[in-house]
Amino acid sequence: MSINILYFGMLAEISGQANEHLAGKENMTVNDLKGQLFEKYPEMREKKFKIAVNQKIGDDETIIPLSAEIALLPPFAGG
Amino acid sequence: MDKIHKPKKVFVPGAISPQFVADSIAKHQSKTNIGAHAIFLGQIRADEKAEGHVTGIEYSAYEEMAEQTFHEIREDAFTKFDLICMHIYHSIGLVPTGEISLFVFVSSAHRRAAFEASEYIVEQIKTKVPIFGKELVGPAGEYIWKENK
Repeated sequence: MSINILYFGMLAEISGQANEHLAGKENMTVNDLKGQLFEKYPEMREKKFKIAVNQKIGDDETIIPLSAEIALLPPFAGG
Repeated sequence: MDKIHKPKKVFVPGAISPQFVADSIAKHQSKTNIGAHAIFLGQIRADEKAEGHVTGIEYSAYEEMAEQTFHEIREDAFTKFDLICMHIYHSIGLVPTGEISLFVFVSSAHRRAAFEASEYIVEQIKTKVPIFGKELVGPAGEYIWKENK
């Protein structure tokens, strides 16, 4: 299973890319994914962000479905 | 029967011009059941930072989710307030200091619905729509990521 991760704003600067595919597993939660991301990008630990799963904001317990689109969203600044 | 509102495109590249706002107002002259318009315009401030003055904001967004969220905010506002029509435009890309980046335009038969809806819609946009902003600071091309309070 592969999950498509989109990075925005300062998180795209940290990852150095707008998106990438990471390996996932069955019944993976948002919290599991955060663990993987923090290992790969330690700088993200100090950043405030939300995670959208298929365009809906999830919490740590949200299950990531097969071939989901995940987005890492830094604080909003619209207006 | 509830009216179905088609999703509308919200993002416009660059600043929103005063002429665009004026033209939008003019287009409503034929809708004679309207008795009140409320307009909110967001303008880029030249905030002072340690590195210098803000010269503009470069907006980016998770566009698919943002357009969907704008659509939900519109539907929600039509349910909550007695509105005749509603238009929302937000800039994407660079907007220089002093120019307009957000245009919310609501119309109703009487003033109260228009006043209340415009405030509600702006607050919803600030907290729910995935739009990101780089505040460009000083002449050296430095920037700070903006965060809504």
